[in-house]
Amino acid sequence: MSKKLFHFMGVLIIFAMILSACQPKAEVPVEEPVVEPPVVEEPVVEEEPMPTLAPPPEEEEVVMIDFWHSMGGDLGGIAIPQMANDFNASQSKCYVEPIFQGSYDDALNKLRASLQTQDVPAVMQLYDIGTRLMVDLQMITPVQEFIDKDNYDVSDLEPNVLAYYTADGKQASMPFNTSTPMLYYNKDMFAAAGLDPESPPRTFEEVWEAARVLTQYDDSGNVVVSGISMSIYGWFFEQYLAVSGGYYANNANGRDALATEATFNSPEGVAILEWWKGMWDEGLMGNYGRVNADVRTAFYAEQTAMFVDSTAVLRGAMDTVEGKFDIGTAYLPRPNEAAFDTSGTIIGGGSLWIISDSSPEEQACAWEFIKFQASPEQQAYWHTMSGYFPIRETAYDVPLAQEWREQYPQFKTAVDQLHIAPNNRVTQGGLIGVFPTARQTIEGAIEEVLADVATPQEALDKAAQIVTDAIEEYNISMGLVD
Amino acid sequence: MPQSQMQNILSTNNQQKISLRAKGKRKRAIKNFIEAMLYLSPALILFMAFVFIPLFRSFQISAHITDPIGRLAKFVGLLNYQRLFETPNFANSLKKTFLFILYTVPTSILVSLGLAVLGDLRLKGISFFRMVFSVTIAISGATASLMFKYIYHPTVGVNYLLSLVGISNIPWLVSQQTALMSVALTTVWLQIGMNTVLILAAMQTIPEELYESAMIDGASGWRRFIHITLPLLSSTFFFLLVVDMLAAFQTFTPIHIMTSGGPLESTNLLVYSIYREFYFNGKFGFAAAQSIMLFFIMLVLTSFQFVFVERKVYYE
Repeated sequence: MSKKLFHFMGVLIIFAMILSACQPKAEVPVEEPVVEPPVVEEPVVEEEPMPTLAPPPEEEEVVMIDFWHSMGGDLGGIAIPQMANDFNASQSKCYVEPIFQGSYDDALNKLRASLQTQDVPAVMQLYDIGTRLMVDLQMITPVQEFIDKDNYDVSDLEPNVLAYYTADGKQASMPFNTSTPMLYYNKDMFAAAGLDPESPPRTFEEVWEAARVLTQYDDSGNVVVSGISMSIYGWFFEQYLAVSGGYYANNANGRDALATEATFNSPEGVAILEWWKGMWDEGLMGNYGRVNADVRTAFYAEQTAMFVDSTAVLRGAMDTVEGKFDIGTAYLPRPNEAAFDTSGTIIGGGSLWIISDSSPEEQACAWEFIKFQASPEQQAYWHTMSGYFPIRETAYDVPLAQEWREQYPQFKTAVDQLHIAPNNRVTQGGLIGVFPTARQTIEGAIEEVLADVATPQEALDKAAQIVTDAIEEYNISMGLVD
Repeated sequence: MPQSQMQNILSTNNQQKISLRAKGKRKRAIKNFIEAMLYLSPALILFMAFVFIPLFRSFQISAHITDPIGRLAKFVGLLNYQRLFETPNFANSLKKTFLFILYTVPTSILVSLGLAVLGDLRLKGISFFRMVFSVTIAISGATASLMFKYIYHPTVGVNYLLSLVGISNIPWLVSQQTALMSVALTTVWLQIGMNTVLILAAMQTIPEELYESAMIDGASGWRRFIHITLPLLSSTFFFLLVVDMLAAFQTFTPIHIMTSGGPLESTNLLVYSIYREFYFNGKFGFAAAQSIMLFFIMLVLTSFQFVFVERKVYYE
């Protein structure tokens, strides 16, 4: 290689580097394991045909709208197109085209970018923790406006679910896919260890004791079966905090007034990490990092006796281990028995938003679409395809849902857990604009505790400080405070 | 007419002539300049659009805090830079990035050298092995990362095979002691293909006579390798050193797919941390400040390499 050519290439490369250094780039839209909402295991569906979208209608007066969603696998491939088809066939004024936009984070980033181009969807599915951000960005029309205009009856909808997506006293978005975490356990292992498979542990202490009995070792003392495994997932911490009665942020979780401070470093929060750390130090927990799916795989492979995950993975889990062993489900563990009466889990999942940049006709169609998807039949179909809760009570009475409940009786735990939860500021969950950051910060704190870098109190104090700073900066940048 | 006047007239004439000539020159120079600019304009416009304007924008954003969509919200001067040095994250990312370079660059060059030496042997069917050695060129970073993510899977990956011979679970990606090493291994594996091809190609351009005369002088195979092959490969090594190092500095894909910067920030390399702050945390100003720092670090590092390392390089 001649010297000149070499210099030239060198300079070229440097420029390329500078270019890419200055422009933080998005690469390969892969699934984001850290912040993904309760993951839905693709349920195995027997020979269900792939629904193909009917071609868009020819008539000019039909309003065409885009529906952005983040459901992968069979939910995005079969259930969502089916539901859009049903809507398109049910009326002749609107035509909805569902478009998969990758993970919720990817979809949110695309929405942010497209706000400047006006090329926005009329209706969009987004995760629970994006609620405050969507409201503050002022790019949505609260569904409350349509509810009022339409005199739409919401009395049949789950109040706890509605409450999560209420901001500033208004229904901001319509819940769509909702779930809570619960404890899954291997009934065969319970029986083999001399535990009663029909009375699973309920409190932190009981889970700990059960984990001790369930952990199995080989001859040289290595753990073969972990008693319990939990991925390092901020959502679990939020849920444990809620069932302990703790607030995530000040001003009653940011629901009485704008949140200005993170408060999860409370005694309730510390107790959760002390429990977690205690089981970890005794070697009762498997280490699967932050990936939920890896914990599930370990459970399927009978390497862990209990694990915690979303109710939405139930169907996938049941279908995967069918015939190998029996799965039991239990309430998310509480710090003590009394906590069952005073608090409960937060609703997780996603909701449907109407984007205000679209035209009034498009928004009207978006509302029709949302109403249609909230109907008992659609909710029953959606519920049985996934394991998400129906958002309305009457969906349980649809024959499809009844059959499903007979086939998967374990799901009763999930429904009961939702219904025993009182509707208060704790169970409504934190309402802050920097939730993705907060979740990731807490995951870092849990890692610090498990790695002996910090005590639970130190780690949470530090995390709370980081989140408080982020909230302050957010509030300033959004012009919410001076 | 007195002589002095004559001289005056002559000299003014001369001056006029000179100034005329100068004017013509300047005109031509301007013309030349415009012509040159026209020729350069495609490159210049591209550079303006994709390098200089974004660079300027990055400086501007780094002096502000922004709202979550990236609109400038408040001028804060050097606050973002101050935060970089106050919080441990930036120092940690820098440290991890240098560690990562240390793990990947020398390893992949050494391994590639070994493979290239093997590939240079005159054996029957050697072209098959050459293809095998270089096959990773054809694999994208994302694919390789996904493959290794499954290899490192705690339940079904290589851990399962190890468990058959009695080695208990290795926490490849889930412990802060091993995660960076595991990611580095993926990168080395991926880099080997390209490096091997380049070294092998350079080896084959070394004139045969050099080896022959060395053999006549009685040099052993090892001495021929040390005194002929390696010096003549030095320009290739230098090229690889620069390119691999800058590539390692920019590592993003394997981190994004395999670890998301965790556990405990142990794989939060600089570019990934910029991505995280920018897209995920919506702290555009803070991310811009980090990229400006990255820009200067790479500038210094590259000039350093050109000034010091290049002197020791032999060019043909």
